[in-house]
Amino acid sequence: MNRLIATVGLPRSLLFYKYRVLWATFFEQLDVATVESPPSNRAILERGIDLAVDETCLPLKMFLGHVETLRDKVDHILVPRVVTLTKRETACVKFWASFDVARNVIEGVDLIEYNVDVANGIHERDELCRLGRRFVDDKRRVRRAYDVAHAAYREHAHRIAGEQDAILDRPGAKVLVVGHGYNLHDELLGKPLIRILEQQGVHVVCSELADTHLARKLAARISTDIPWTYNKELLGSVELYRERVDGIVFLVTFPCGPDSLMTELCMRRLKDVPAITIVLDELQGEAGLKTRLESFVDLLKAGKRAGGGAA
Amino acid sequence: MSRAGSEYRVSFPHMGNYTVPIVTLASMLDCEIMPPPKMTRRTLELGARYSPEFVCIPFKYNLGNYIEALDQGANLLFQAGGGCRFGYYGEVQEAILQDLGYEFEMVLLAGGFGVLEHYNKFKSRNPRLNMVRAIRHYRLAFRQTRALDRIEDFARRNAGFEVEEGAFDSAFDRFVGELAETRSIADVERVEAAYTEELRSIPVERPEGLLRVGIVGELYVLMEPFSNFFIERELARRGVEVHRYVNVSNMVDHGGRNKNRHLREIIGIADPYLRYHIGADGTESVATTNRLRQEGFDGVLHLKPFGCMPEVNAMSALQRLSREHTFPVLFISFDSQTSETGLATRLDAFCDMLRMRKRRLGA
Repeated sequence: MNRLIATVGLPRSLLFYKYRVLWATFFEQLDVATVESPPSNRAILERGIDLAVDETCLPLKMFLGHVETLRDKVDHILVPRVVTLTKRETACVKFWASFDVARNVIEGVDLIEYNVDVANGIHERDELCRLGRRFVDDKRRVRRAYDVAHAAYREHAHRIAGEQDAILDRPGAKVLVVGHGYNLHDELLGKPLIRILEQQGVHVVCSELADTHLARKLAARISTDIPWTYNKELLGSVELYRERVDGIVFLVTFPCGPDSLMTELCMRRLKDVPAITIVLDELQGEAGLKTRLESFVDLLKAGKRAGGGAA
Repeated sequence: MSRAGSEYRVSFPHMGNYTVPIVTLASMLDCEIMPPPKMTRRTLELGARYSPEFVCIPFKYNLGNYIEALDQGANLLFQAGGGCRFGYYGEVQEAILQDLGYEFEMVLLAGGFGVLEHYNKFKSRNPRLNMVRAIRHYRLAFRQTRALDRIEDFARRNAGFEVEEGAFDSAFDRFVGELAETRSIADVERVEAAYTEELRSIPVERPEGLLRVGIVGELYVLMEPFSNFFIERELARRGVEVHRYVNVSNMVDHGGRNKNRHLREIIGIADPYLRYHIGADGTESVATTNRLRQEGFDGVLHLKPFGCMPEVNAMSALQRLSREHTFPVLFISFDSQTSETGLATRLDAFCDMLRMRKRRLGA
């Protein structure tokens, strides 16, 4: 007997990399099946590029490609809307708009959303539960599902952060790669870069911070005014790890405004750690990327041999 | 204006004709006020040279204004910020200018126009300031802004049909000059009344079947004519009646307490293309375009800095609206490479297309 009541598609892009465990656990608890789109590939990106307005940023193009990939394979596709997670911060506007953008450029799919806007009193728990009641008409059960899912999400986030910390204790050269999860862990965007670094024999630490309060506190040492929650987490990781790594790679996608401003500020304020910025665009070839990363790693290793931290 | 006891020389980025109310606010500091030199291509070149590569063009213009102002001796800079990444510009611009070796202080007024929020920032630079006086300056600045927006709105709708070329521009320039001399709300009212009268008396010939076009988009490129190559004047020259709804008066009216109500209202107007607010002016762009379509306008121009996310988001809705209703929308992005000739060609083609469409629909 199949107890599953519906299938929800989870586009493997943007907030997926942050909330995958939350969503998967939540729907599993409600006996709603989830289908994840496959890891990014050139075809998915091409589809996204075709659908999107030209000037759309690379991650949002990728996202639209993933949504399109799930068409006809599922009953609904989850596209959350995240505006604010605290009173005084905000998320990048692509998270405000991805639901409406996807609705406008992709026809014939049933998008379902939940809305998080804490500054206006709209919370994740209430909104996900509202969404859950579309599938299961049992308030208590849906609420329980959310609590289980949220606990799983917290635990997962702390485990990942712990793993990052463990890498830092290993011997050898270490590089912190600073970038949004949806870029770092994307098969077509960040993964090739991380693989190249690892082939060069350096340990890669990703900018994942589970403790958002800590991240916020640390971020304030570099920037007092930055308004984007997810960028605060990146800045927090820079501040937390910069003395324990040999170099920093900022991974930025074209033409990300928040990242371009954040990277500019870091480059100007952190002069004691060697750092480079890698900008990915939709025409990216691996050869140029490889050359730049190789020379950066050579520089780090030379600096390390010379005994100094800085190159 | 007194400048007793203060070493400050204050400056700020240009924002269209709003120099007048900005000076009114800055005069609370009792110090020398030096608006940056008039914008030129060099302003943009300077700004672009020291800016992050793909930051949007308002950042570059602002930075260019600051550099030119600092070179003239300014030492206290204001950054007002806005509803998007604009609100974060100040901190990065400050770091860039410091690295360039300038010595100055920067005051960030991000987050709206609240008198109370700003009062302390002004007070810390001018201990002699008191609340009563601050409120007086704010009220005067608001009133000047409203007069500017009303007069400019009238000129925008009529300049395309003036009998004597340049009549509106010349009257408007004189108006701005006199507005800069106003020191009380009564003064502003008098100047506004006089120029309302004068503008209404400028002879115009409005042809049958004239084109009515709305301009929507990102606020900086809408409000700073230098940044959009004086697009409103260019349209007027092509015999178009131009309407624009984004201005500081409307921002004030729709901000603060009224913000959420206004957002609900415009999301309703933007239905079915938007269900949520998409950030900064994006929702406004979609709502205004949908309204103008229903009101029988001939077309809409959508202006934005290259890569402006809220407006790129809006474009997905605008393109669908344009497709579903065959309603003409011209999308224009501005960056440091935008050419004036290229823009003129696109405007010519767009206006020709609107005229042909109008004839066809009328037949």
